[in-house]
Amino acid sequence: MTVLVYLEHADGAVDEPSLQAVTLARSLARAASVQAVSACGDSTQAPADGLGGHGVDVLHAAMHDAFATYAPRAIAETIAELAGRLGAAAVIGPGTERGNEVLAHVAALLDLPLAANCVSASGAEVTRIRWGGSLLEEARVDASPLLLTVQPHALAAQVGAQGTATVESFTPSLSEAALALRVVERAAAATGGVSLADAKVVVSGGRGAGSAEGFGPIEELAGLLDAAVGCSRAVTMAGWRPHTDQVGQTGTKIAPEIYIACGISGATQHMAGCKGAKRILAINADRDAPILQSADYAVIGDMHDVVPAISAALRAARP
Amino acid sequence: VTTLASALALLVALVVAGVLFGRRAHLLYRIVRLGKPTDRAGDAGRRARTEATVVLGQRKLLQRVVPGLVHALVFWGFVVLLPTILMALLGAVDEDWTLPWLGHQGWYLLLVDVFCVLVLVGVIAAFGIRKIQRPARFEGSHLREADLILGLIAVIVTTLLLWHASQIALGIAEWPAGWSPLSNAIATAMGDGAWLETGERVFVWLHVLTILSFLVYLPYSKHLHIGTAGINVWFGRTRSRGRLEPLDFEVEDEAALRLGSGTLVDMTWKQMLDTMSCTECGRCQDVCPAWATGKDLSPKLLIMGLRDRLFAEGPAVLDGREPTALVPAAVTDEVVWDCVTCGACVHECPVSIEHVDHIVDLRRHLVMAESRFPAEAGTMLRDVGRSSNPWGKPQSERAAWADGLGVRVLEPGDPAPEVLYWVGCAASFDERARASARATAKLLLHAGLDVGILGPRESCTGDPARRMGDEFTFQEQARRNVATLGGAGVTRIVTSCPHCFNTLGSEYTDFGGSYEVVHHTELLAELLADGRLEAPEGTDPITYHDSCYLARHNDVVAAPRAIVSRIGRPLEMARHGKRTFCCGAGGAHMWMEERGSAINEERAREAAATGAETLAVACPFCTMMLDDGVRQTGSGLRVADVAVLLAEAVVPASGD
Repeated sequence: MTVLVYLEHADGAVDEPSLQAVTLARSLARAASVQAVSACGDSTQAPADGLGGHGVDVLHAAMHDAFATYAPRAIAETIAELAGRLGAAAVIGPGTERGNEVLAHVAALLDLPLAANCVSASGAEVTRIRWGGSLLEEARVDASPLLLTVQPHALAAQVGAQGTATVESFTPSLSEAALALRVVERAAAATGGVSLADAKVVVSGGRGAGSAEGFGPIEELAGLLDAAVGCSRAVTMAGWRPHTDQVGQTGTKIAPEIYIACGISGATQHMAGCKGAKRILAINADRDAPILQSADYAVIGDMHDVVPAISAALRAARP
Repeated sequence: VTTLASALALLVALVVAGVLFGRRAHLLYRIVRLGKPTDRAGDAGRRARTEATVVLGQRKLLQRVVPGLVHALVFWGFVVLLPTILMALLGAVDEDWTLPWLGHQGWYLLLVDVFCVLVLVGVIAAFGIRKIQRPARFEGSHLREADLILGLIAVIVTTLLLWHASQIALGIAEWPAGWSPLSNAIATAMGDGAWLETGERVFVWLHVLTILSFLVYLPYSKHLHIGTAGINVWFGRTRSRGRLEPLDFEVEDEAALRLGSGTLVDMTWKQMLDTMSCTECGRCQDVCPAWATGKDLSPKLLIMGLRDRLFAEGPAVLDGREPTALVPAAVTDEVVWDCVTCGACVHECPVSIEHVDHIVDLRRHLVMAESRFPAEAGTMLRDVGRSSNPWGKPQSERAAWADGLGVRVLEPGDPAPEVLYWVGCAASFDERARASARATAKLLLHAGLDVGILGPRESCTGDPARRMGDEFTFQEQARRNVATLGGAGVTRIVTSCPHCFNTLGSEYTDFGGSYEVVHHTELLAELLADGRLEAPEGTDPITYHDSCYLARHNDVVAAPRAIVSRIGRPLEMARHGKRTFCCGAGGAHMWMEERGSAINEERAREAAATGAETLAVACPFCTMMLDDGVRQTGSGLRVADVAVLLAEAVVPASGD
């Protein structure tokens, strides 16, 4: 049987989750053929290096101007067309956000079910992750071709196969609808590039900030510390900051080295989102605020005075 | 026209109407029979009482005086005038025929005259409400259908009057004349013209044909409730309103496993009957906190959406077609998740529709069969199962609030206490809610009660998971807690959290746990009344916010008020008692992001408008939500649990 794997790649190298998808494809295909498809804006982009070692027999480098940026529908049509031409028994993609999106498009085009986030597959029997990892579901997928995505980092990408992948270029015949969905513009997120979930330092504001403008000093301090800006639920409810900035159980869970919480009372749902923080510095005018129970350091005072003072001190200390 | 010809004509009319009505009624019956089982047998006495008060007595409708009276006039008129239908059928065949005995009773004829007028008054008032007052609750209802129905009722009653009058004018009926003042007056006005002979026939036939048209139209319209509402009320819930029907995961045949409502055939027959009983009055929509704050959910539109789906797909499903998913085609995902399960709609509904059960069954399917729910609530579901509390706090810290208070933490093998204090996750872990736990414990110890807590062995009751639709996690928690409580020999429990109160008292019986469960406000009020706690009379203006799971779902209304009126001067909000307005946290909304404007702010504004300085609450979630709401709206109210306020009055020196 032939299995077709969709590869995500950047700068000529295939992403790790895609190589993991190849490994699962290899186990599914046994001795038969694993072929891969990558979407390339031009021929120099085909990520062929080392693919043979992972067990890919043929790499179809799909060429189209649309592939200069991310174009999920166009990639999906390409995959569907190629799968039909190869008579693929299965189409597998990486279970990344984009991989899942592309395969979902393929499923819609072929009117077939998609089993997302699989950790293993044997014939039509798959095991996949549900509920954010708290549940493993065993499912039987009755479809041809079988459409799967592979949960990233659930299995290791294997190397050591003999052989090299031959590269064949492929020009898809795309519909007009496929070209409608494309990247028009890229804009950096408001946090200035530091992601809240991964930031080493997070400076957050709560209801004490008083307004959207009240976040000016917080952003200034965050800039000086190379930190991400967060906020509490009260702030997003009031519409001062977007929900993507919310730290809490129903927002982003953070795990910084230090968390600076300004004007945040420390509701349980907020604290559940920052319990991964190594150290908490609370700045609050209310000495009875619940957050002081969990804080390692505290400044009792109006954040509108304290935060600019810290920024000024930082500036003065720097050459 | 001979009697025989009239009889034949009537027979034809009856058969045509009967067939048209019967076909539709049979279809509706077969659709309801598609429904899944739900146990609504037994409790005949209680059901009969509900039928008497809610249907005959119009109790729910009369919660709103004016529209309630309008409906009651038309309904009671309908009941009183029922025999006149038979009289008219007989009269249509032969002008001299009427019902034996009853047709000659003066008192009944007086009643007919009186109720004809009352029904007409009712119809005119109903038109007035719909055309002039135009209440918002009708938004989304079928207004023209209602106009047509009101018009038909007016025609039926008017032709009845005219027919009676024309019979009196002709002197053919043996009406005891003095008993029908209105019909007599109309008869006098009619005079004795030659048209009367024909007129009498026209009036009676118009009357009969309008009634038959009405009968045929009924099962095709929202006015179907005339036939279904009485039945739906009879089969309404008789056990605690806060209790959800458990799902059975232990079924032998996997095909029989019901995970809530995915398609229409997953609905119970009662839920199907619910949709057919709705007459779109919108009382539910009017009291819904989600609708009031600009969200998509209207309980009325929810039921209408399900009904439309039932009628659109039901016949095909009866023919063997596969039913399709209810969400999002019949009900959107947003609507399903907007609900706070406060039960205001259920309490308001005059025909015993159980909206919350519909919502929870839709959630159960989305959560357990499709893993489709607001992503932000996922952590809570996982933490309830893994960490035994919805915030993922370490269980070892569960009793930390009690440090230094001298509360007995029960170890396995310890003798059972007089009362077990079930603290609940919120009062155990949340800083603001802990004040209530400390106050309650101090007061109970002060009154000399033998109180114990389970400490780290206490685990989330599973309420938030259950209200989210994760029945599986709930049942695991229930079994575990029932085992712990049984092992500790507990018989009497006091809770701080109305959600725990509801779960332990009303829901754990389904899992083998039977206890006497009281809320801390009930126990404290009892101790206050017995003199085991003494508090001086206070004068501070206090408004008390009823928790839905305490007041509406479990009838605890008086006890917290007894405490509040002792320690302060009570001021009621417009929406209080069993008609309270949710704080916004119910139905697991504590762990979901809110769309639209905020329910807690709406409630905080209502509380501030009473002029009170203190907003008393009796639920840790209400405490958090309303404290946030007060801060956000900047009214400066102090939000405090009734127990905290009482503790300050009883033991001022150690105010917490």
